[in-house]
Amino acid sequence: MTAVPAGTGSLNPVPYDPELVDGLAAFLDLVEIIPLRADTILANRAHFATIIPPMQAQAEGRAIVWEDRVIPGPAGAPDVEVTIVRPAAPRPGPAPAVLSIHGGGMVLGTRFFATGELIDLAERHGVVGVSVEYRLAPEHPGPAQAEDCYAALLWMAEHAEELGIDPHRIIASGQSAGGGLSAAVALLARDRNGPRLAGQLLGCPMLDDNNDTASARQYDGIGAWDRNNNDTAWTAIAGEDRFTDRVSPYTAPARARDLSGLPPAYVEVGAAETLRDEAVAYASRIWATGGQAELHVWDGGYHGFHGFSPGAIVSVAANAARESWLRRVLRLGG
Amino acid sequence: MTVTAAGHPTVTPVPFDPEVQVVLDAIAQNPQPPLTRETLPREGTDTMFPDNDTVIAGRAIDWEDRIIPGPAGAPDIEVTIFRPRDADRPVLPAFLNIHGGGQIVGHRTWETGRVVDIVAEHGVVAVNVEYRLAPEHPSPAGLEDCYAALLWLHAHAEELGVDPARIIVGGGSAGGCLAAGVALLARDRRGPVLAGQLLLCPMLDNTNTTPSSLQYDGIGTWQRDMNLLSWSCLLGEELAFSPQASGYAAPTHAEDVSGLAPAFIEVGAAEMFRDEDTRYALRIWATGGQAELHVWGGGAHGFDMYMPEAEISRAALAARASWLRRIWSRA
Repeated sequence: MTAVPAGTGSLNPVPYDPELVDGLAAFLDLVEIIPLRADTILANRAHFATIIPPMQAQAEGRAIVWEDRVIPGPAGAPDVEVTIVRPAAPRPGPAPAVLSIHGGGMVLGTRFFATGELIDLAERHGVVGVSVEYRLAPEHPGPAQAEDCYAALLWMAEHAEELGIDPHRIIASGQSAGGGLSAAVALLARDRNGPRLAGQLLGCPMLDDNNDTASARQYDGIGAWDRNNNDTAWTAIAGEDRFTDRVSPYTAPARARDLSGLPPAYVEVGAAETLRDEAVAYASRIWATGGQAELHVWDGGYHGFHGFSPGAIVSVAANAARESWLRRVLRLGG
Repeated sequence: MTVTAAGHPTVTPVPFDPEVQVVLDAIAQNPQPPLTRETLPREGTDTMFPDNDTVIAGRAIDWEDRIIPGPAGAPDIEVTIFRPRDADRPVLPAFLNIHGGGQIVGHRTWETGRVVDIVAEHGVVAVNVEYRLAPEHPSPAGLEDCYAALLWLHAHAEELGVDPARIIVGGGSAGGCLAAGVALLARDRRGPVLAGQLLLCPMLDNTNTTPSSLQYDGIGTWQRDMNLLSWSCLLGEELAFSPQASGYAAPTHAEDVSGLAPAFIEVGAAEMFRDEDTRYALRIWATGGQAELHVWGGGAHGFDMYMPEAEISRAALAARASWLRRIWSRA
C-alpha cells in the first residue's frame, strides 16, 4: 500500500473536531509558540524547560515513589539517566512495566515530558515505569536516540528482579518522537534477539523522514506538529542522509524492509494531523506480514489531542481504547 | 477468478484475539456445509431470531412495521420503526439500519438487537429496512431499496418526530457496503444531507486482491469463498471481481469520495475486509473528508456480534457509541 492514494492529491485538510478547536489553540500558544526551525531548536529547548513541570511537582500528592538512576549507555556511548516510577503500595507479584519515551521531535524535551503517563499507570494498575533521557539531535544524529532507549530496555530486562517487574510484560510506549522511538526499540529488540516486548504503543508516531504523505501535505503550515516542524526535526536527525536509504530503520522505522515478527502494536493518531498516513501505512505493513497491530484514527484529532484536550468526547474515547489495549497486552485484569 | 470451495490462507494471517479464538473453536465444532447459489436460505429467515418484544425486553421502546414505497417501478418495502416511548426531546435523531449477510442472505430481524440497543442508548428513532437480495435481485436493486428508505425517512421526518438534519445511515458487512453506497447516492443525487455513515466491517471491494482478503481464505467468520459468492451473485459473472464494477456497488471504486457524510469505519485486524476498509478511510481523508477508523487487534469479521463479552467487543462498542454521540450532538 502506498501512503498517498493514487488520484487524490487534494490539499484540503480534514477539519478538526469542534470540541478540540480551543485545545488546539491553547497547544499552539503554549507548546509551539516558537515555530521549530533549524535556528530555533535551542530556543524551543529553553521554552520546553519552562513548561515541563519538575518531577517533584508531578509527583506531589500522587500515590507513587520515584527515583533517578544512571544506567549504562550503548557500547562506547555515555551513560543514560532514567527516572523510575513505581506505585507507593506495590501489588503482589511481579509488576507489568512500561518503558516510556518522551516526544519532542527527537530534538527537544526531557524524560519528565513522559513521566505523567507513568504516574497514572502506577497509580491505576501498579505498573513500574522507566522514563529514559536519550540524546537529542542534531548534536547526536540518529540512531543515537533509539540506541539509548534500547539500552534502557536492556537494563530493565536485566534488572527485572531488582525492579520487581515481570520481564514478559514490558512494553515500549511513547507519543510523537517517542512513538517512533518505541517502534525503533521493537525493531532493535527483534533484530538483536533482545528482550521480548509484550507490546509497542505508538502514539501519533514519527516514522518516516520523507514527510510527503497526503496528510503531511494537508497539514503544511497549519495545526500542531505541522509539516514544517516535522521537516526541521527530520533534517536535524538524519542530516545529509535524509531522503535516502542510508537513514537507519532505527531512526525512521518506516524504512525497515521487514515488519514481521514484531510485538503487538497499538497505533493511534488523529485524522487531522501530519503523521496520520504514515501511521496507517505502518500498521498496514505489519498486518500484511501476519503481525498484530491495532489502529485507531480519531476523527478531527490534532497531534496529541487526547493529552491536551482530555475532556473532549473524542479524547475520552481515545483514552478508553488505549486502556483496553493495555489491559489486554499487560494482562492487567479488571 | 472462479468461485471455489473454502481454501487456505496464501498470506500468513494476523492471529485472532485469544477471546475471539475460543468462539471460533466452538463454531468449528459444528461445521456447516458451505453455502452455494442453490442453498441460500430464503424461507423462514424472518423467524430465526427472537421477535421484537423479546429483544426489547421491557425497555421503554415502541415498534411498528410499515410498508413504504420502493424505488420507481419496484415493489414496496417493509421497514420496522423503533422509537423511545418517553422521548425527552420534541424531535429525535434517526438511525437507518441496513442488515448484513453479503447481500445474499439475511433479514432485518437478524439485527433487531443491535438496532434496539442504539435506540435505548442514544434515544433515537431507528428504521430497519428490508431490501431485496441477490442473486434474484442483482445490484443495484438492494441499494436502491435502501436509498428509497432514506428518502422516505427524510420526507416523513415531521410525522416520525425526526430531525432530518441528524440522520445516520449504517450497517455491518453487506450493510456497511450499502450504507456507503447510500451516502454516495445521497451526495450524487443531491438527496438528503446525511449526518453520518456508520460502516461496521464493511464489504467495499469486489476485487478481493488485498493482503487481508488472501489471509482469511478458509479461516475466520466471513471467509473468502463466501465473499466471492456474494460478489458474483450481486454483480454477475462478468463484473463480479472487476475494477469496472460500479462505485455504488463496490464503493472502493467510486472515483470521487469527497463531500461525503462523516464516516465511522470499524473492522477487525484479523478479517478479509481490513485492508479495503483502511484504504477507503485513507481515500476519504486525502480529499479532506471526515472519517474515523478503528481496526481492532485480532478481531474476526463481526466479532462484536459473535463474542459481545470479549474485551475488544466492549471496547469497540464504546468507541462506536462515542462517535454516535459526537455526531448526533453536533448537527
